[in-house]
Amino acid sequence: MLIALWLAIFLLAKYAFRIADEWSFLLFIPLVALLCSDIQLGYWVYVLVDVDYLFYHPLGLLTALLISLPFWQLLPVKENVQQSVALAWIPLAAALFYYPFGIYALLASAIVAARLLARGPYFGLGALVTVLLTIWLIPLWETADSVLIRPDQSWMYGFRKFELDKLRDTSLEIPFYLVLILPVLFPFFGKLGTKKLLYSQGLMLVTAVVMYCCLQSRDFTDYNFHAEMRMQRGVEECRWGDVLSEAAKVTGPVTREMVMLRNIALINRGEFCSKCYAYNNESIQPAVVSDSIHIRICDQAADLIYYNFGETIFAIRRAIERCMHYGYSYYTLRMLAQCAIVNGETDNARKYLRLLSRTTFQRKWAEEILRVADDERLMLTDERFRMPLKLYNEGSELVGTDDKYVELTIMKKWMYTMTDDPEAQEVALGYAMIMRDRNCFWTQVQRHYNINPAAPFPTHVQEAMLFDVNELNMQGVNLSFVKFDERVLERYKAFTDRLKYYSSQGMNEKQIGRALRPEFGDTYMWDYCVLREIQTN
Amino acid sequence: MNNLIRLVLGMLSMAVFAALSLFLGGCGGASLPSSYAQVDAEPDIWPDYKGVTVPPNIAPLNFLVDSVDDVVAEFQTGDAKVQKVYGGDANKVQIDEREWREMLLSARGKSLSVTVYTKREGKWSAYRPFTIHVAEEEIDPYISYRVLPPTFVGFDELSICQRNLTSFEETTIYNNRLICDDLEGQCINCHSYQNYGTDNMMFHMRLEHAGTMIVSDGELIFVDLKTESMISAAAYNSWHPSLPVIAFSTDHTMQSFHTRDVTKVEVIESASDIVIYDVKKNRVQVVLCDSTEMELFPSWSPDGKWLYYCSAHYEYEGEYEDTSELLERYKTLQYRLYRLSFDAGSMTFGEPELVYDAVERNRSAVQPRVSQDGRYVLFAEGPWGLFHIWHPTADIQVLDMQTGQLLDTAPMNSARAESYPSFSSNDRWILFESRRDDGNYTRTYIAYFDAEGRLHKAFEVPAEDPEYFRLLLRSWSRPEFMKEPVRITPGQFLEKARTEPIKAEESSR
Repeated sequence: MLIALWLAIFLLAKYAFRIADEWSFLLFIPLVALLCSDIQLGYWVYVLVDVDYLFYHPLGLLTALLISLPFWQLLPVKENVQQSVALAWIPLAAALFYYPFGIYALLASAIVAARLLARGPYFGLGALVTVLLTIWLIPLWETADSVLIRPDQSWMYGFRKFELDKLRDTSLEIPFYLVLILPVLFPFFGKLGTKKLLYSQGLMLVTAVVMYCCLQSRDFTDYNFHAEMRMQRGVEECRWGDVLSEAAKVTGPVTREMVMLRNIALINRGEFCSKCYAYNNESIQPAVVSDSIHIRICDQAADLIYYNFGETIFAIRRAIERCMHYGYSYYTLRMLAQCAIVNGETDNARKYLRLLSRTTFQRKWAEEILRVADDERLMLTDERFRMPLKLYNEGSELVGTDDKYVELTIMKKWMYTMTDDPEAQEVALGYAMIMRDRNCFWTQVQRHYNINPAAPFPTHVQEAMLFDVNELNMQGVNLSFVKFDERVLERYKAFTDRLKYYSSQGMNEKQIGRALRPEFGDTYMWDYCVLREIQTN
Repeated sequence: MNNLIRLVLGMLSMAVFAALSLFLGGCGGASLPSSYAQVDAEPDIWPDYKGVTVPPNIAPLNFLVDSVDDVVAEFQTGDAKVQKVYGGDANKVQIDEREWREMLLSARGKSLSVTVYTKREGKWSAYRPFTIHVAEEEIDPYISYRVLPPTFVGFDELSICQRNLTSFEETTIYNNRLICDDLEGQCINCHSYQNYGTDNMMFHMRLEHAGTMIVSDGELIFVDLKTESMISAAAYNSWHPSLPVIAFSTDHTMQSFHTRDVTKVEVIESASDIVIYDVKKNRVQVVLCDSTEMELFPSWSPDGKWLYYCSAHYEYEGEYEDTSELLERYKTLQYRLYRLSFDAGSMTFGEPELVYDAVERNRSAVQPRVSQDGRYVLFAEGPWGLFHIWHPTADIQVLDMQTGQLLDTAPMNSARAESYPSFSSNDRWILFESRRDDGNYTRTYIAYFDAEGRLHKAFEVPAEDPEYFRLLLRSWSRPEFMKEPVRITPGQFLEKARTEPIKAEESSR
């Protein structure tokens, strides 16, 4: 759809301004700027207020070109009358289209003025004065009664500012400056000669190289950023296998959000305590875009993560906060509807579903979920609700706040949660193990044994028990009741032998970590010994 | 040139034709179905206006019926002199404002009978008629309220609006988007009026451009009310009915979140006192500052001789204002209603006098309002705490000061949270906020309080589109009656807010 829009802009500009073929490449510059504005976003995508970001600007540009089409030339009147109509159209176009096109309506006025200017100085001068007055006065007039726009921002309506609290990243706004300035030159492009092929083709080559370099430098290619998005979609659609294969593909350190999303998939597959160290837990902060935005899980996917841990109240809080900061979206309405169903707030869920059912693309989803709202037994078998409902029911009731630390809040709650449900207890046991709180861990181990006396402990729990008793000298624990897997025992022994050997060789912690990683990187012991400075966000 | 004129004339005729078509289309009117099956039940309509008592100057009670293809409703006065039919456009019944006013005039002190006909799969059904009672007494024509998402911490989208109850006109008093567009935002709250008028009114601004915006005899003043002896800047407030004096509570507030309980939020005060502020003298005077009492929600009696308030007795076991202790014991924070006598001549107060012991009932009573005759005290009562809109079991209560008994408020309450009640200037209407629609979004309801002291079924503030509140993702909270609209424009408030607030002085008294 976007490409179709860009194509429409190109063709409209080419024919409306009668630009010769060999100069047509100049029309690509604003289109490349639009492309740039999309691929440069990175983590800004989570904090953009305008959910229509991708389409608003190409639509704005297309509209500006349409509004500025020289309809006055079709009027069966003398040329000076035609030009007078065009002159009158300058403020009129801006006034008529300022809502909803904002700065693009002003662009249309500027293009009309440029058209007049390109035809000659007499009307051109008038057009120049008119357009300056239009740009100054129309936004003021249009926003005079508005209570939604700061008076000093009247001229910025429709312009994308990259501003968050006190921070403003003007470098990300450059594409929009190009989109707004270049079309004003289109009437003059139409006047460029048609017999300077060498000159135009040389310029085309330079332009192409510059555009390519711009795209390369602005493209936000951070692997984790894209992997996070794929994992988020995977969790939303309960594609646990895809989430885990995405987690397995990552070679470098991962973000904590990726760890959380991966853990959600493991929990849903009942593999949390047996595979959580099989994936990379070495963590880094999310990459930054132009060093301007440091994103937190809280702003990215707090609602999705909380929901999947059964923390629906916190999920609702974060979803609503996000709606207020960054605007409502169908995604948030879906999340709010799911939370309300799990909470038993079905009237509230119906409100959101009613809204979603009126949209073209969400109607089917809303109808599906409405069936669950009507018959809550369906939650027990529906993958979207089964585990969140279980964790909601089994999780403890506390009163507190998250201070924007999503992961820590979940871990701290679950390590202390006492439940007899085997699946929920595995979450509690897993987080007690990950948090390395020995009292909590052994309490949860006892609980796990009481619930599943005949079942073997998950692999990582066995590793943690061995390590805690043998290496960390945990006192008063009798391991005779535990049936250890032979493989776990062998690997544990091999790990400790190698650890002692490397230590005796005078290797430091980092060197030992690197040396042990190929063989033992998927064990609790390696994680415990090597990953000590993990910071959540 | 002739061609141009023809072109313009052609366009004009098309516009006139289109306007006429729209007008005629709109005047098509609905008609009753010629054949239908009779259903022996009242219809399910939204909002629920069945059996409600409304003021004779209220806007049309438009409504809808779910899951039908078409609906028409016949409105009839008791004497059958007026008979009107509306609907016939999908599932909504939207009443002509002028005709509605005429109907209410005819039915004043009597009632309207409404028969609803619905069409499903090509077949019409007629339901048992329901009644809308029309009281003799009018309602104050305006209300004002905050419009905000049901948010918890952020304040970047908040406005105070006013609505004409006799029509559907809604305007903005102030919107925080005028002054800031960052994430922290500007919190605006606690709007209040002296004697239902708007020449003396106020509201607070927090965070950016913090201060209290006061309109005093029509003049704007921007004040920083925080003085040394106050816990914080001023908060919940009440205008003295005749003096240029506002009573405030001053408090430290915190909010915490449940992990499972659908109550969702607990708003807790860790300390609170009561002060009064003399607008003309720019002076703050401390009234109550007992460290073991959490005094809140001051409210003047209409004769100006009493200051009502609520207070929770709380003694910290550990350090003063230890929030972790409060989080463990928040359910013990239950408020009683008290009052202090007030001598306007000396500006002095008497000793606290217990008005209603909610704690005895294991409840918490807050937000008192006194009727004009001083006989009734209206308040919100919940299980604990002060922010009852988050407590699903919270209800509105009315205490009869003559008998010391609570009135039967069941007709106006619901199974979901009710809070922030107030009397109209003639005492016959009670305005309050409720989450009865969906449990999450706060809506404004009105209940009739008859001269015999009986409360009637409450109704939602009517909306032009009956679906409006159903789809609105904003709450309407803290409603207040007004006899007239606020005339100061948002721009004037904005201009004042950009100035440095005047620092209030502390009274030596």
